[in-house]
Amino acid sequence: MSRREGSLENPQADSSVSSLPQLEAKIHQTQSLARLLTKYAEQLLQEYVQAQGDPFGLPGFSPPWMPVVGLSAPAPGHAGLPAPERLQLDARALAALPPLLDVVRRLQAELNPRAQRLLRRLEDAARQARALSAAVEAVLAALGSEPRGPWPEPAAATAAATTAGVFPAKVLGLRVCGLYLEWVSRTEADLGQLVPGGPA
Amino acid sequence: MLRIGREQISFGCVCSFVFLEIRWKAGSVHIAFWSQDCPGRTMMDLASRLRRPSQRVAGESRRMTSHFWRFLWTLALLGLMSPVNSQRKAPGAPRDLKCTTANLRVWDCSWKAPSGAGRGALYEVCIENRSPPCYQLGKTNTQIPSLLPGDHEITINPLHDFGSSMSKFVLNEKDVSFIPDTPEILDLSADFPTSTLHLRWSDKGSVFPRHSNVIWEIKVLRKDSMEVVKLVTHNTTLNGKDTVHHWSWVSDMPLECTTHSVGLRCYVDDPHFSGRKEWSNWSPLKNISWSADSHGRVFPVDKVIPVGSDITFCCVTLEKVLSAQIGSVKRPLIHLDGENVAIKIYNISVSENSGTNVVFITKEDIYGTVIFAGYPPDIPQKLNCETYDLKEIICTWDPGRPTALAGPRGTTYTLFESFSGKHEVQRLEGFINESCRLLFQILPNQELYNFTLSAHNPLGQSQTRILVNVTERVYPHAPTSVKVKDINATAVTLSWHLPGSFAKIKLLCQVEINKMNSAQELRNVTFQGADGSSYLTAVGGLHPYTVYVFRVRCSGETFWKWSRWSSEKQYLTTEAIPSKGPDTWREWRSDGRNLVIYWKPLPINEANGKILFYNVSCSSDERTESLSEIPDPQHKAEIQLDRNDYIISVVAKNSAGPSPPSKIASMEIPNDDLETEQTVGGGKGILLTWHYDPNMTCDYVVKWCNSSRVEPCLMDWKKVPSNGTETVVESDHFRPGVRYNFFLYGCRNQGYQLLRSVIGYIEELAPVVAPNFTVEDTSADSILVKWEDIPVEELRGFLRGYLFYFEKGERDTSKMRGLESGRPDVKVKNITDVSQKTLRIADLQSKTSYHLVLHAYTSGGLGPGRSMFVVTKENSVGLIIAILIPVAVAVTVGVVSSILCYRKREWIKETFYPDIPNPENCKALQFQKGVCEGNSALKTLEMNPCTPNNVEVLETRVTAPKIEDTEIISPVAERPGESPEAEPENPVVVSYCPPVIEEEVPNPGADEAGGTSQVIYIDVQSMYQPQAKPEEEPETEAAAGAGYKPQMHLPVTSAVEHAAAEDDADNTAGYRPQASVRAWSLVSPDSPRSTGSNSEVGSFGSPCSVNSRQFLIPPKDGDSPKSDGGGWSFTNFFQNKPND
Repeated sequence: MSRREGSLENPQADSSVSSLPQLEAKIHQTQSLARLLTKYAEQLLQEYVQAQGDPFGLPGFSPPWMPVVGLSAPAPGHAGLPAPERLQLDARALAALPPLLDVVRRLQAELNPRAQRLLRRLEDAARQARALSAAVEAVLAALGSEPRGPWPEPAAATAAATTAGVFPAKVLGLRVCGLYLEWVSRTEADLGQLVPGGPA
Repeated sequence: MLRIGREQISFGCVCSFVFLEIRWKAGSVHIAFWSQDCPGRTMMDLASRLRRPSQRVAGESRRMTSHFWRFLWTLALLGLMSPVNSQRKAPGAPRDLKCTTANLRVWDCSWKAPSGAGRGALYEVCIENRSPPCYQLGKTNTQIPSLLPGDHEITINPLHDFGSSMSKFVLNEKDVSFIPDTPEILDLSADFPTSTLHLRWSDKGSVFPRHSNVIWEIKVLRKDSMEVVKLVTHNTTLNGKDTVHHWSWVSDMPLECTTHSVGLRCYVDDPHFSGRKEWSNWSPLKNISWSADSHGRVFPVDKVIPVGSDITFCCVTLEKVLSAQIGSVKRPLIHLDGENVAIKIYNISVSENSGTNVVFITKEDIYGTVIFAGYPPDIPQKLNCETYDLKEIICTWDPGRPTALAGPRGTTYTLFESFSGKHEVQRLEGFINESCRLLFQILPNQELYNFTLSAHNPLGQSQTRILVNVTERVYPHAPTSVKVKDINATAVTLSWHLPGSFAKIKLLCQVEINKMNSAQELRNVTFQGADGSSYLTAVGGLHPYTVYVFRVRCSGETFWKWSRWSSEKQYLTTEAIPSKGPDTWREWRSDGRNLVIYWKPLPINEANGKILFYNVSCSSDERTESLSEIPDPQHKAEIQLDRNDYIISVVAKNSAGPSPPSKIASMEIPNDDLETEQTVGGGKGILLTWHYDPNMTCDYVVKWCNSSRVEPCLMDWKKVPSNGTETVVESDHFRPGVRYNFFLYGCRNQGYQLLRSVIGYIEELAPVVAPNFTVEDTSADSILVKWEDIPVEELRGFLRGYLFYFEKGERDTSKMRGLESGRPDVKVKNITDVSQKTLRIADLQSKTSYHLVLHAYTSGGLGPGRSMFVVTKENSVGLIIAILIPVAVAVTVGVVSSILCYRKREWIKETFYPDIPNPENCKALQFQKGVCEGNSALKTLEMNPCTPNNVEVLETRVTAPKIEDTEIISPVAERPGESPEAEPENPVVVSYCPPVIEEEVPNPGADEAGGTSQVIYIDVQSMYQPQAKPEEEPETEAAAGAGYKPQMHLPVTSAVEHAAAEDDADNTAGYRPQASVRAWSLVSPDSPRSTGSNSEVGSFGSPCSVNSRQFLIPPKDGDSPKSDGGGWSFTNFFQNKPND
């Protein structure tokens, strides 16, 4: 493992926190969780587009990403940030996702009441995002970095956006599911850079 | 009246439907034009008064021709060009008086000023019969109150204008045009979500003097190009007041897509106004438009439409739309104003739950909307309202056809109760397995409920009704807490809980009683209902010590539905004393001193509990013997008694007490007159009958046992009341094919007498074995057979007889099978006398093998057969006769032949053996001796005594015809040149000059042939088969060239060659020993083996004696005739020479 800022060899790490093996184990555990959630997020996205009807899910159909109030995709320069800062951003984004996923689940409950699997996946995704966010914050705390405060509550603004109609609501759901996938995979990658043997 | 239609006349616009109507009445002609689709609906009416005497009209009308029509047209056109009707005018006078009205109250009249009149000219207008009749005006128009129907004279006199003159006009209402004022739209609004325009205007009815019908014409225009998309009429009535009217219109295109404009005009159809009525002018257009923002939008938004509808979607955008699609199907674009576009969908199909997506794709973005195509709610089916507990009513139904709409677009059901005015609402969200049911709280003091179930969704609604008396629709919950409590051994108390408020009704409950191995029993109980109470009932008539399973269900007394059954409750009733004593029998031991007492275990319904033990006692007048507390599994006891009469008593006892004693007498009354009978049952049991005997005062007992078992004979018994005369003895132990003994006892004076002894079968079967039989004696024409009995166990029925089959046959022939199959050559003897044990079969043939089969049979069938083969003895007299007759015939023939030959011997000799000339007498053949000795090449001319040889060839093959003696003279001598050519490599021509062995008659012919004789050994069979397979010759030759060649190959003739080749072909495989009959040639052992120069002719001949025709080495092959094997044969007897 190369010596990078935020790596386990970081001398800035708080000596009062858990011992090194415990920290390593925690990072490993969190990364495994992120990896698992990445797979779930892919399945959620696939399930979502299938439930929306054509042309959702058709090859070549990619509605422009509408902005989601309170949450944005990982910035292009995200990878260049120091590790604690990346993890802070990951934790904040993951914390902002559950309310959005809840909104999407409510919309889909009205729109697709028979799509029980999709509704269950959305419910699980909100819970899992919350858990991953907490796990990343725990890693941050172990690294001695204070987590930033959460992003503003996006649910209210998102709910207003959904009153424009069903189609924008479908696109919003697609966007939220896509953001969920992006952030959990981003978190997995960021955590991977902290563990020995991970990508440099 | 005459009407002329479909003329186009231009009045500033083209009217496609212009009609000319001409009506004539007496003295007048009325000409009118009107149009149906010109704006303003022009109507012109020309009246021409052609006053003519009526009598002339009648005459001229008959002469009306086309000239008259041309006149009418001209007149009409004149009328159009001169709208003002008849008026008298003078040059320099006011002219062209015109009058119109907008409200029928006031006429607006105007005229043209006389030429030269100045702007400030004054006119005096006088109207006939008006007060004041005249007034002055400084203008050329005036408003006058509407005049009454009829002609009115109006005088207009220019004042202070000396050059002008007064004008007089005759004004009639018919000359006035009624043109309503231009209507004004009060309001035009739009409901964008529903694409509906709402129009509001006032009819200004207060200005009109009376009620009239009004026709409003409304037009809707779309886009900037003002395309008329809707033109509709709307009828109202003027009622003297200003009334605001509404009109709504749903656009097929969303109103947001483009600008929509609405205009309005009216036509007042006053029936009393005789003048010309015209449309008003169009009102100013009112517009509806939607201001697009910078972001594109697609309309309609989330609309719900019925399946099969046509719908238009549009995209309002500032960008150029590249394509549009619904779902995955692209649709052509319809261009609207600006960059706005639309697509049209026809006959839309049902949507998925999430709706059908419609998207418009621009270069930069994608805009979309969702459409929900579904069905209006079906009429709810199978509506049913009932109550579980009289607290609430549950109504359930089947929603029918799915609407394909879910969530907020799902069907909402409203249950409305009309008597109370209350309602309950439920919305079906579309979840899986969503139940359709609504609860309605029961109201106090209300039993009758009139429910209306309404279903509605965005596409429509439906409803159904049901009227229920709730007390008659009780479907209680399943009873709970079922409990059982003893009353006594035959009755229990059953209680249960039933939730609900049933105080107002009676309940009907059903108790199900199940007993092991018994049919279930249902008992109905009626209760007065209670509120949330337990219910109790006694269940009697049970059996002691019996396991019962109880369960309960209830309904209202006015039956609607049974509740579900309660859970089962199992209960064992308590014990009671046994109701009867055991069924008892007794048997004396064969020694007559011990009495064995048998009793049967009490059935469960008589034991009334668990039998613990039995008490047995035997009492007579003198003594009593008791056996106490014999434990239950034991069901017999043995007591040593004398031959006195005893009464045996058996008592069974359970925990509740002893049973009544069961008594039986020990005495047996002898019966000497008894015969054993036979009977066969019906498969399950045996019927025994007897005659009624009044002396039998007790009962009858039938006991039975297996007849093959050893004593005591007691398998079971059965008691029959004393008045019975028959019984069917049945037992699970009975088996078909087993013989049983049945004994019928009658009870008389406390003693039992054997009345009948019967052996029988429940069902007879065929014997399982065949009877053993032996042949006792045989003769030349008969066989005596004897057989044994079949044991009873193997007989399996009463023996009915034997079947004896016999026929000619030997052991190894196929006839052994199926002897009894009914073939005609099989003889059968049916022996029905079962006591017969022997049978003599007569009329047989001597020294003949017979196949015998013996079967036993019962009523159950034919048993297996046992077979035997027997040969009858030979008849010696016949044999002797058979030998003597041929011998006598042969001797007779021989004697006669000898006599004949002897008497004709000279003739025979001359005929068959004429004298041969002696060659020595021929001078030509007398050679010099030296020459013959010196040159061997001239040997053929040597006249040595070269005795012709007689050669006999003996054929030994069986298949060929027998030739006993063959004499062949070598043909080679006659055709010497053929031999080398026929067989160059295998010359088998053997020349030799044998010594004289037998002094036979010299053969002059042979001497002529030369000193060297050629002897040809020919297979006799070949001689008889000269044509054998000529086509196989090459093959046989090739085969012959390989391996050992027998010395038999003699190319004498082609026929012989073929035969020889065939023979060789048969023997090509390796060495063939000379034991073969064919390979052996009969030749004298002293014959020269190589007298010629051809050394390839090796050993020849076989090891036989010189004169013997019998081979010295007997053949070993299996195919050699047996007669050659050294044994005596008839052929040898005649052929062989007695050389030994």
